Amino acid sequence: MTDNAFLEARGIGKQFGGVTALADVDMDIRRGEVLALLGDNGAGKSTFVKVLAGAHRPSAGTIAIEGRPVSLASPQDAAAAGIATIYQELALSENLSVAENVYLGREDVRRILGIPFLKRAEMRRRVGVLLDELDAHIPNPDMPVGGLSGGQRQAVAICRALNLDARLVIMDEPTAALAVAETRKVLALVRRLAERGCAVVLISHNIADVFEVADRMVVFRRGRKIAERRRADTDPEEIVSFITGAHPSLRSLEHLG
Amino acid sequence: MGARIAGSIGGRELTLLVAGLVAMAIFAVLSPVYLSAGNLYQVVRNSVELLVVGLGLTFVLAIGGIDVSVGMVLGIAAIAIGNLLLAGADPWVAALAGPLVGAALGAFTGAVIVFGRIPAIVATIGLLGVYRTAIFALLGGSWLSGLPSSLSDIFAARIGGFLPASYIVILAAYLAAFVVLRRTPFGLHLLAVGNAEERARLAGVAVRRVRLAAYVVSGTLCGLAATFYIANYRNVEMTVGSTVALDAIAAVVLGGTSILGGRASLLGTALGVLLIRVLQNGFTIVGLPSLWQPVVTGVLLLAALSLERLAASGGVRRLAFGAP
Repeated sequence: MTDNAFLEARGIGKQFGGVTALADVDMDIRRGEVLALLGDNGAGKSTFVKVLAGAHRPSAGTIAIEGRPVSLASPQDAAAAGIATIYQELALSENLSVAENVYLGREDVRRILGIPFLKRAEMRRRVGVLLDELDAHIPNPDMPVGGLSGGQRQAVAICRALNLDARLVIMDEPTAALAVAETRKVLALVRRLAERGCAVVLISHNIADVFEVADRMVVFRRGRKIAERRRADTDPEEIVSFITGAHPSLRSLEHLG
Repeated sequence: MGARIAGSIGGRELTLLVAGLVAMAIFAVLSPVYLSAGNLYQVVRNSVELLVVGLGLTFVLAIGGIDVSVGMVLGIAAIAIGNLLLAGADPWVAALAGPLVGAALGAFTGAVIVFGRIPAIVATIGLLGVYRTAIFALLGGSWLSGLPSSLSDIFAARIGGFLPASYIVILAAYLAAFVVLRRTPFGLHLLAVGNAEERARLAGVAVRRVRLAAYVVSGTLCGLAATFYIANYRNVEMTVGSTVALDAIAAVVLGGTSILGGRASLLGTALGVLLIRVLQNGFTIVGLPSLWQPVVTGVLLLAALSLERLAASGGVRRLAFGAP
């Protein structure tokens, strides 16, 4: 437990009927740090993230945010606790502009005779500032988001998270569908998010991406957290051996499994 | 904003305007009476109710909904207004009753769709049957006729000496619809729901309330259209509103509002209404039996839908959105 832990999860377990998806996971998530979750499909990383996002109720364990125990029973609870999740399929509305997407659901309004009018200029200005801070360039922010590239959409989704005052941003495979140059830009966005003091949790299958951007890595296997490494203390080979189950320390476990 | 307005006016609306003018030019060549002031006034006068219904239907299509019962809502509201006038009610009260009855029926339609979880097309076909029967029952097998002219007098009154009051009401309805669609969170939510309901819900949009509200708006405007209808015709026949749904849906889709939701153009709807009325009027003048009018409208609707398909499948979309 460190001073800058934003979220502490202890003993998190999740059963689906008789199936154990997650067992006894402890994890600290720190401000200003990019934490990567790795593991094969079905290893439990997505289930864990969904617990944090309020999409799954854990069967066991406790979660504390800034030292206070919290119950993340719904996505609304998670949002209220400052947790924003950016899903793989990016929940953006393709037909709306950048600013409209960033503000959708909590627009800035000015009431005239009780009728709420959008403060369009103010919303556009604020989104411009956020995009500048992220060093993300969108040449035509008034165009529908459907016309943007995958990387630009990631930037819009991150802006939305920041605008919701998210202090923990969870990203599920943010670079999965991107070309090389776009991937670079999104990884840079992830770093900048952490530099702003945000805690970032990243799910990725791409070891190279993870080593480029993450400060810490956690490997899941069969619903358990089997390894946690600082980037400086490990190398891709070791992480891959954890993911595949080939690491020597796992041999005994595999027998039991 | 500038680019946005230019982008949305550029394509479809301009095409409609040009198509309308070309059609008028052809009709003018074919018939000497076509361009007479009397005939053109007739076109505008025939467009009034359809325009008001079309504005409301634009909201319904924006959320990815549909309502084929709009003509019947207009009919029931018209009967309510007519009966109030016959009973000697104040014309202002009668005028207000139209939108009120429309709003109530719109709320009912919306509730059936949203809370009954019934696809809008099926629900409104069912309601079309219910409302139509209600019209027969309310009229009791005969026309509602001999209505006093008090309502017509209000709408015919010239504000400032030359502008008929009815124009002001239509302009106000159009501007209000525009402001709601483009300048309020509700407008944004309509388009988000029409694009992808689940995404809108994830973003915190109250999806069910937005969908319900779209039908209330549409119903209210059907009721307002009924007020114009009574002021214009001063009677209600048995077949009231029977071609309204086809004409209105065709006009809205022609105007560039997506039948799949997520995209709406009120100016497009207005131009679509005018184009349909120009064609119907022109074909009648050059001697096409009026029985054929629904064919003209139906063909226009199908053409607009194929155009939308084409756009969705690639080619045109890239042109419309520009390169990423």
